[in-house]
Amino acid sequence: MVPSVPSVPLGPCLGLSAVLFAIGLVGFLGRRNIILMLVSIEIMLNAVNVSFAAFSSHLQDTRGQILALFVIAVAAAEAAIGLGLVLALSRNRPGVSVADLTELKY
Amino acid sequence: MGILAGQSAFYYLAAVSVASAILAITRRNPVHSMLWVLALFVHVAGIFLLLGAEFLAAVQVIVYAGAILVFYLFFLMLLDLPGETAGPRFGAHWPLGASAGLAFAALAWYAHDPGLVPAIPRVEPATTASPGSLRSIGMALFTQFALPFEITSLILLAAIVGAVVVAKRKNVP
Repeated sequence: MVPSVPSVPLGPCLGLSAVLFAIGLVGFLGRRNIILMLVSIEIMLNAVNVSFAAFSSHLQDTRGQILALFVIAVAAAEAAIGLGLVLALSRNRPGVSVADLTELKY
Repeated sequence: MGILAGQSAFYYLAAVSVASAILAITRRNPVHSMLWVLALFVHVAGIFLLLGAEFLAAVQVIVYAGAILVFYLFFLMLLDLPGETAGPRFGAHWPLGASAGLAFAALAWYAHDPGLVPAIPRVEPATTASPGSLRSIGMALFTQFALPFEITSLILLAAIVGAVVVAKRKNVP
């Protein structure tokens, strides 16, 4: 059963969202595997969705959930394009590591 | 559901979400990372349910856990990276990344101002459905947000075509 007035306050939800986003940011900046960097982007998008749902529940408004739906659709598109790029990359490189992509460096 | 039960469920879900996110970005084996991300997605769906967003929870499980994550797992098995578990997990610059993440979390914590968010509006007519119900979401999605909805379908079409074009071999006609 879901109560009409939510029992979860807004502050802890936003804190959870910030912490999850920071974890995703650390993963994106720190990992070497490109696939895991893309997964870290998914974690960050999920964190944003948590805060959208929290605001939607707090303000009793549907629009936050609609925005979260659009975020999920864009995440699906991003996964398709990103993994296609990684597939094209792995044909020319030994692995899927950011250490293999050094052409712009020199 | 009582307030106390709801809050303890929320803190359980939040703790498991954070723990599985940390495990997901630190595991050496990418498949283990994916399974921890699956745990994260399911617990975030539980948080959506607790927040009264039933449709969003269903979409989270179906699209994120069901489609996107399975896509990633298929992809990992397609590429088959045997050397991945041997090399270092993080680049040499990982302290910079960690400090950026910590700085972001601290900034979000500092910038959280309760005065910015208006209190819960108490003008709830008894006739309107709850904001998380499929009816109210559908009404908003197909009237007020009809144009963004159509643009989303264009984005997905462009993603399909783009993925095929990018991943195609050059010598295939």
